[in-house]
Amino acid sequence: MDRREYLRTAAAVGLAGGTAGCASVLDSNPNVALGEPDREFDSEDAPYPAWGQRIPDVALPAPLDDRTVELRAIDRPSVLTFFYSHCNTVCPVLLSTMRNVHTHTLNEGYADEVAFFPTTFDPARDDADRLRTYADEMNVATDADNWAFLRPASEDRATQVVQEQFGVMFERTEPEDMDMYMFTHTALTLLVNADGYVERAYRTDSPDAERILSDLETVRS
Amino acid sequence: MNRRRVLLALGGLGLTGASAWAVRNDAASGSGLPIEVTTMDAPGSEAGERRVPAADAVTVVDLFATWCSPCKEQMDALATVRESYGEEVAMISVTNERLGGSLSREDLREWWRENDGAWALGLDPDSELMSALGASGLPYVAVFDAEGAVRWSDSGLTDATDLRGAVDDALATP
Repeated sequence: MDRREYLRTAAAVGLAGGTAGCASVLDSNPNVALGEPDREFDSEDAPYPAWGQRIPDVALPAPLDDRTVELRAIDRPSVLTFFYSHCNTVCPVLLSTMRNVHTHTLNEGYADEVAFFPTTFDPARDDADRLRTYADEMNVATDADNWAFLRPASEDRATQVVQEQFGVMFERTEPEDMDMYMFTHTALTLLVNADGYVERAYRTDSPDAERILSDLETVRS
Repeated sequence: MNRRRVLLALGGLGLTGASAWAVRNDAASGSGLPIEVTTMDAPGSEAGERRVPAADAVTVVDLFATWCSPCKEQMDALATVRESYGEEVAMISVTNERLGGSLSREDLREWWRENDGAWALGLDPDSELMSALGASGLPYVAVFDAEGAVRWSDSGLTDATDLRGAVDDALATP
């Protein structure tokens, strides 16, 4: 029985509501295809949307595509990460991993089944032109329909969405050896299913593309 | 203040620290190595497979990406070390960029040519090697002794003197 079918059945017999609150007790959750990750805390205690939780109900502009993306309205599995383009250390690795997974979808012909949403928390500098240049540097095929950079409309909005709703902490720094500001920030890549539930939250600054691909395969099937 | 607020307030550094530690911890166990890396046809490199680290030889592994500007600079120190030690030391540069989309095999070869690569050029599209080494930034250089143990590694640009020192240490390992 696949997940959707299970959900339909569960709803029909009135189970869906009853099981939703037990995610932290059971090691399975009807809203997600992947089992509970091996960890020492429950999703509700995480500062970010974690396994089995719905992603925040927010809409963000996609400046390169001239549209707004409502995160809960995405009807296919998606991958999200949070970055700023002037970052030299962690973000290029996060973006590069995402780009590698994205390229896999292009190479293997399932691009229309997965969407990618790298989200900047530095809207002051990451405008459409800058994001386009950055995509070019990172060899991202932005002409593909399944990749859209998201950009909160203001710095306040970035704090509100990225920090407060997604739990990605970021703070401006003024490095002495640089003539521009940078950020210290946490790393988060999310794999979200077509119903808007988090399947995996990869809390590492070097996420493993192979693992994401393997998790994605389970989520797609 | 609810739990989520408390955790938010605790801030990111602890979490970053924890995740970075986890990655390094993996590397310390040396899990997943050696790995067979696919190599491609390019100056100094033949298409095929290479064991990383090489069996019975000191190995210099350079992780890079074409989008990474310091990785271009890193090539100079690697070339210097390559010239000093020749075939005595195995050297391989590996990118975790998956070919396809807007990066072709020819683009990669062009990057290699422009930056005077003259040793094995490997592909790690699933970031297996990167994960096994616990590299969280690029460039990243690691030196293995002939027994296959990591003797030295550095994230960020490494100069020729430091790299040569690391290779000498690895060569001196009984």
